[in-house]
Amino acid sequence: MCLTLIFTVSALICFSRNADTLNIEKIPYNLKFSYNSSLIYPGASSGVEYPFQRINVTKFLKTGKKKSFIKDRFITANLNGYHHPYFHDNLYLTVGWTMRRTKSSGFFTEFSPEIGLSRTFLGGTTYKVDDNGNVSVRKLAGYYYTLVSVGGGIGYDFSKTTSKPYMVFSKFNVLTMFPYNSTIYLRPVIEIGMICKLSCFRSLKVKSKTKNK
Amino acid sequence: MKQIIFIVAVSILLASCQKEKITIGTNVSDTFYLDNAGESMRILVEGNTSSKTFVLFVHGGPGSGSFVYNTDYISQNIENKYAVVYWDQRNAGASQGNSNDNHLNLPQMTDDLKKVIQLIKARYGQNSFVFLLGHSFGGLLTSSFMTKDNNQSMVKGWIYVDGSQNYPLNDTLTRQMLLKVGHEQVAINKNTDQWNTIISYCNGHPGNFTIGESEQLGTYATDAETYIDVVTPFNYVNALLGYAVEDKLPLTAILINHLYSSNASFNNDLAKTEFSSVLYKVVTPTLILFGEYDFICPKELGYEVFNRINTNDKKIVISPISGHNLIFQDQVLFCNEVNSFIELHK
Repeated sequence: MCLTLIFTVSALICFSRNADTLNIEKIPYNLKFSYNSSLIYPGASSGVEYPFQRINVTKFLKTGKKKSFIKDRFITANLNGYHHPYFHDNLYLTVGWTMRRTKSSGFFTEFSPEIGLSRTFLGGTTYKVDDNGNVSVRKLAGYYYTLVSVGGGIGYDFSKTTSKPYMVFSKFNVLTMFPYNSTIYLRPVIEIGMICKLSCFRSLKVKSKTKNK
Repeated sequence: MKQIIFIVAVSILLASCQKEKITIGTNVSDTFYLDNAGESMRILVEGNTSSKTFVLFVHGGPGSGSFVYNTDYISQNIENKYAVVYWDQRNAGASQGNSNDNHLNLPQMTDDLKKVIQLIKARYGQNSFVFLLGHSFGGLLTSSFMTKDNNQSMVKGWIYVDGSQNYPLNDTLTRQMLLKVGHEQVAINKNTDQWNTIISYCNGHPGNFTIGESEQLGTYATDAETYIDVVTPFNYVNALLGYAVEDKLPLTAILINHLYSSNASFNNDLAKTEFSSVLYKVVTPTLILFGEYDFICPKELGYEVFNRINTNDKKIVISPISGHNLIFQDQVLFCNEVNSFIELHK
């Protein structure tokens, strides 16, 4: 039983990874701008994507067809905000890890966990009343929260089929802020935006994998 | 550089958003916050502030929030005459804070309520009249407020709607009512399966209720009014969702605050809390409104308030078509009675 397992695993490794090569490639930094809407409440987001890893994958299917895609990994930093009238405005800074998989056609999917700091600004004048009944206004009242965001989305990279160095994307994120009233606050956010590939690059060792299925 | 410009632009926008807005008029909508003991509580004032008369809604729950009371009917029938104050208590509705569970207790909420009234008078004039309206848990909170120190001198009247001033008594009365009405309904062959389940539970739990038993009685009490044909149906979630976009409700905050508050440890203290023994301190004019089929806070609680308060200026009205949400289930009666009471005492 054990021998069968070892044989199977070895065979899989030998036959599926036919060729791995390593090349140096220049990967552009990306600049992201998006409309960061929380359902009907407007917001904006901007950030940078720092290329960290790229793997070119080519798969040969049993049908004889070839399927290739690129796995990119970015470290990201984003400044985001939304405006929820009468509730709060929220400005939040996040750093994250974006995993993007781009097909040769240009379509991509991505997933990105992020962590950051949020500062809310209450949606109305905020007062303090002391024990003697004296009333004063608190300027820029709001709260700091730790923020975790998890999101996934789809997009299209125009540079794969044309010379245009940008992508468009749509993404659904769930923001979690804590401690919010001794518990957590959840907020769904939809991002629709554009990612521009900058003309400054980072040289990366790019692995190319070829797999047979 | 672009990011710096963005930060500056957003900062300017935010600073402008918090500009103080105090509106005196006949169709006002002002939102502001009271910051007290680790919580920023949302207050919405709508309606006729030029009347200098404010009806302050103290919502139920704990943790339910005040958004649900802001209906079109109340806008058209009370806000046109007076201003209505929708206050989200701590850890409820759109109220916000950090880690503040150590402040989530009835004495702190009583202090919050006092400061809300002080703030209303500071904003709209010390000559403003405030009428306090407590619904459900708001009955307990307003009972606490009205019987503490000289607080009642801050209000012109107390409106007590489907409230509870005595949680241990409340559980006993709920059980008695479930049994009484349950037997009547079984006798006329109405929803017999559901009523038999309730009757069986009540017979098996005669008194000295634990928190779990109290919650189960509450669940049966909520269901029970839906088995009575004459009671106007009311669905809290639907009522809230109906105004979600128009009133820009922070739905996830409302839900999370409600879940947290209704399960917070201070509910254990509330289960032992009563103000029946100190109601004699109340000398303020009082209007008591209850639903005939309120199993959650049975009308006997209203009669107890009526009998114990120390004023002759009092009235009790029972709505024959209401359960626990008379404000919504018998809107005409509610608005007529509230308006008449205010006209008489402002």
